[in-house]
Amino acid sequence: MTKKTKSISVIAAVVAATTLAACGGSSSGGSTGSSGSASGGSANNASASKGGTLYYTSNKPRQTWDPQRTYTGEGISLEGRLFSRSLVQFPVTSDLKASSTPIPDLATNTGTKSNGAKTWSFTLKDGVKWQDGSPITCADVKYGTSRTFATDVITGGPNYILSYLNIPTDKKTGLPVYNGPYKKAGQSYFDKAVTCSGKTITYHFNKAWPDFNLYLAALRAGDPYKQSQDKGNNSNYTVFSDGPYKLQGTWTKGQGGTFVRNPEWSSKTDNIRKALPDKIVFQEGVTPEIGVQQMISDSGTAANTVTTNAIPPASFSQITGAVAKRTINPQSPFTEYLVPNMLRLKNPKVREALAIALDKNAYIQAGGGSKMYAPAYTVTAPGILGFKKNATFSGLPDSGDPAKAKALLKSAGVKMPYPINLTYPGGTPTSDKQFGAIAAAWGQAGFKVTLNGLTDTYYNVVQKAGSTWDVCWGSWGADWPAMSTVIPPLFDSRPNLTPTTTGQDYGSYKSAAVNKLIDKAAAQTDVNAAAKIYDQIDAILGQDYAYIPLAIDKFYRINGSNITGYVNNPAEAMYPDLGGIGVKH
Amino acid sequence: MSMPISDLKSDEGGLVEVQGSGKVIEGKSPMQLAMTRLRKDRTSMIALAVVIILLLIAILAPILDWVGILDPLSIHNSGPGNLVSGIGSVPTGPLGGISWQHPLGVEPGTGRDLLSRLLEGVTWSMIISISATIIAIVTGTVLGIISGFTGGKVDFFLGRFIDLILCFPQTLMLLALSGTFIAWITLVGVPSGNPSTGVYVILIMGAFGWPGYARIIRGLVLSMRNREFVEAARSLGSNRRRIYFTELLPNLWPPILIYSTLQLPAYVSTEAALSYLGVGIQAPTPTLGNILTDSVNYSQADPTYFFLPALAIAIIVLAFNLVGDGLGDALDPRHGR
Amino acid sequence: MFAYIIRRVFSGIIMLLLVSLVTFILFFASPVNPARLSCGKICSPALIEQNSKALGYDKPMIVQWGQFVKGIVAGREFPEDASLRKSAPETIATCPAPCLGYSPLNAETVSSELGPRIPVSASLALAAFVLWMVFGISFGIIAALRRGKFLDKLLVSAALVAYAFPTFFIGLFIYQFIALKWGLFPVPVYTPLTQDPLLWLQGLVLPAITLALVYLAGYVRLTRAFMLESMGEDYLRTAKAKGLAPRKILFKHTLRAALTPIVTQAGLDLGLLLGGAIITEQVFNYPGVGKLAVQAATTYDLPTNVGIVILIASFVVVANIIVDVLYGLIDPRVTLA
Repeated sequence: MTKKTKSISVIAAVVAATTLAACGGSSSGGSTGSSGSASGGSANNASASKGGTLYYTSNKPRQTWDPQRTYTGEGISLEGRLFSRSLVQFPVTSDLKASSTPIPDLATNTGTKSNGAKTWSFTLKDGVKWQDGSPITCADVKYGTSRTFATDVITGGPNYILSYLNIPTDKKTGLPVYNGPYKKAGQSYFDKAVTCSGKTITYHFNKAWPDFNLYLAALRAGDPYKQSQDKGNNSNYTVFSDGPYKLQGTWTKGQGGTFVRNPEWSSKTDNIRKALPDKIVFQEGVTPEIGVQQMISDSGTAANTVTTNAIPPASFSQITGAVAKRTINPQSPFTEYLVPNMLRLKNPKVREALAIALDKNAYIQAGGGSKMYAPAYTVTAPGILGFKKNATFSGLPDSGDPAKAKALLKSAGVKMPYPINLTYPGGTPTSDKQFGAIAAAWGQAGFKVTLNGLTDTYYNVVQKAGSTWDVCWGSWGADWPAMSTVIPPLFDSRPNLTPTTTGQDYGSYKSAAVNKLIDKAAAQTDVNAAAKIYDQIDAILGQDYAYIPLAIDKFYRINGSNITGYVNNPAEAMYPDLGGIGVKH
Repeated sequence: MSMPISDLKSDEGGLVEVQGSGKVIEGKSPMQLAMTRLRKDRTSMIALAVVIILLLIAILAPILDWVGILDPLSIHNSGPGNLVSGIGSVPTGPLGGISWQHPLGVEPGTGRDLLSRLLEGVTWSMIISISATIIAIVTGTVLGIISGFTGGKVDFFLGRFIDLILCFPQTLMLLALSGTFIAWITLVGVPSGNPSTGVYVILIMGAFGWPGYARIIRGLVLSMRNREFVEAARSLGSNRRRIYFTELLPNLWPPILIYSTLQLPAYVSTEAALSYLGVGIQAPTPTLGNILTDSVNYSQADPTYFFLPALAIAIIVLAFNLVGDGLGDALDPRHGR
Repeated sequence: MFAYIIRRVFSGIIMLLLVSLVTFILFFASPVNPARLSCGKICSPALIEQNSKALGYDKPMIVQWGQFVKGIVAGREFPEDASLRKSAPETIATCPAPCLGYSPLNAETVSSELGPRIPVSASLALAAFVLWMVFGISFGIIAALRRGKFLDKLLVSAALVAYAFPTFFIGLFIYQFIALKWGLFPVPVYTPLTQDPLLWLQGLVLPAITLALVYLAGYVRLTRAFMLESMGEDYLRTAKAKGLAPRKILFKHTLRAALTPIVTQAGLDLGLLLGGAIITEQVFNYPGVGKLAVQAATTYDLPTNVGIVILIASFVVVANIIVDVLYGLIDPRVTLA
């Protein structure tokens, strides 16, 4: 949705989109002729490409390099591969299953859970050092986690751990009494919840957290942070490395910076990162229109460049022949879906008719076609453990069936044309076209659609309790490849629905059965068992038409011809995985 | 000499204001004389014809849509009738999909008819621009007359108020306030979405349009205040209101007319600029601004579509400006000697 | 004279205080809670409330405004939190006077966000200023001297046509065709003057042309009009009668009389532009204040928005004072009392 909402507030970006980490997206090998594996050089000669300078271009300025503040898929990926090692991380691979299986990084194994997944412990490897030569200690790991609790200083980061660590909460606010390492209120509670014994760190939770190691691997919030380097807010662009690269000089927001090798890092303690280039130069403020022309020309530094800029649809026609071989087109971890307002569309047949008449193809075509989107059949993305097409939606035609929907609407005995207020994040011509296409198809099915495109205020409106829209748009990417970061955040009515806001449960969906199953899933100590329960929940959501899946966003990018070892890694949210990329030189 | 070319078109809202414009416009020249002069000015007459055609289009387009001749909304982007099958959903066929059914081609992505959209875009752009112009002119005239005629404290405070408004960077304010103000407009009961956005655009363009104009009117009123006919009315015991409306206003028609014809095209441009920045009426309702905002992305993939909407806006801006200039020349004998 | 300047400065300060108050009311009376931004993806009302408190958004608006004004005069610290100051002073961001606020979204003071951007916007504004002054005035003079002739009509209408196309269309056309497609000119990228003066200039040319075109038409017509007016003044007739050479008359008398009002107008336009050219910077991806303003507006970064508005308003106020004072110095008819 980032590309769709250039003018939506960050609220939007924070809430639904840019955020998120791992998961999602098959490597989409067949769909475009450019497979998920290496491009512009094959993976097997990657070993030959140690050294050289890699360029990494992007448009929007990075908001932070602080591991605990970072909540964008790209930021999480870059930090993890460059300078912020975690207890466990995901490997460099395009294989769907392997990419969502954590492997040890700072820790000697992937963690030991006990006490019904309420206690987790990890032991640190020997010989891992910070860039100043000092060893990584258990206290550093513990300190990193403590920063997340300073919610008024370290803002914007993932805060899952707040509700898990065994720390009492304030009755009035529901927030933990521990408020981080700066003000230190309730420090003793935290010291009891996270304990160090030599090189072993132990986490004590108040409920089972079977996928805790996925959380550690998929986000950077659990990474170590050296207390002596911490200046809170003022450390926003500080990079203090324990990985293969360190920042040379300072980071200039909007322009970028240069990472060079960190001599204190050793491949002996690290079997994840290949660390091939000698130098990685980041350039910000490169617009897609300009960037793509340079990449097509492949001249100068462009041959050594990877970019996160999408190829703009206006340039698609230039992507042919050898140039096309350098492109990648994987599915992203973001799924777009429509949300019926359960308080207004109470008749299930009306919701069903909307789902049947939905013309996903027109939506995709108006948005630039199959390079930009794939049709979605459930709210979760294909990379997620236990992913299954939702039976309710998988049988419906992609172009919709207005005639059938109309008949259904008639049988529902409602007044026709049935009025629908469709609220969506507008403000860009593309989104306006896409929702115009949806409205047109619904119009044929006996609905009278009022389009309500909002910009800055979109999430304020759709999250407001008692809003008057009938259908709104949502986009979600899982934070780690488990349905526990999709279904409960979106459909558990208890934390979401308050008198003033709907949280992420925009449609005010409320189901005792679903909530009960969510609790059951959360109590599972085994992730696969939990996934099965989430599949049951998704089936109920489909039968209730609590959401209508729309499309999976796709990334369409181009690499320089000297790039080697490029993989579409679902765990890195399909951003360039710097753990394996090298340059021919 | 000319009136300000515009103060709202630009980027930055750079105000090209003619200092002392007031003295140029002699309000007393009879309209008939001016019209005679105008009729001799070929450029202005052509421009006037274009303006009349544009206004006719603005009125007729919705009617033609209603009877089914124009069709700005129908989507042709899937199945057998797909008109945008090119890579990246660009129109099928050369020149942006120009055909008998679609004389100017179709919109990429949706296959909607471009001619219909442009014509109805004229309607919506005109509704917005004319409304904003009326707000700016009425407010400016009323406050200008009051300020100039009353003088004293009222004049002082209105003057400082105008200074205050002119301190604000207009384009930035239009953009930055949109979220807040549109939410407010929705709160007071205007339907959310395009109606609220439309009201916001009109109100705020009008709000930034009147101050410069009020200054001009004030200057004119000041120069008229002590003329015989006002003195006479005053000594006869006419009340203020009467003086404002029966004595002063008739003499202000020429500048009002000229200013309106120059302000209106500036608002057409502003509407486009706001659309580009993400604030404005959203498709499928067409405005020239939102069509252009989309079309500028297709410079390489669909050049026809890239140029046509810009050309439409240019024609409007040019025609109104030329008419405004012509009116200025005609109404002011010294103008352009 | 001195007393006048003091008084002007004083009233300028009052004006800026008013601007800041109005800005505060406009932005912070928003129905959107800015604290929502500082919360992660999954955010509870309690967390929002806590952040709102930490950021000071829970205080009455007038108090927030007071703190803001205090920050401009004496500097501030963020967050203003005594307990945090005691336990972890290194996490407090100091914002020395003149402090324009703190953006929690970017974890940076607004002044340090603006710092590197002001030279970018100033470079662009100055380059455009030079272009539109040189070409605007010389075209205007030529047009006035050739009044009614072909050259007059050509120059005036060419400038008008350039004005008629929306700025972002012209900018994108130049960018996409002249720089990218035809490669007639290097793709414009901003390089700081201190880094490489030649690259600095090269990167400025295309954006500056785009920006100058916004103003060109206005200045051509202004110059032309003032030239024609002053060519008809009595003292010029006297000079002509005295037998002075036409060239001398032109440069010594006509031009000077005509240019005075134009230069003052130009000063005001430049003052406003120094605070950023929103559309031009957006189109050319120029990292100036205007680009930051769009970013802040679209991400609901209220403190940054407020800071930029105050910055631009102070440019405008200062430009006004300078122009007024200069005007008094140049034009003997104006007395500064």
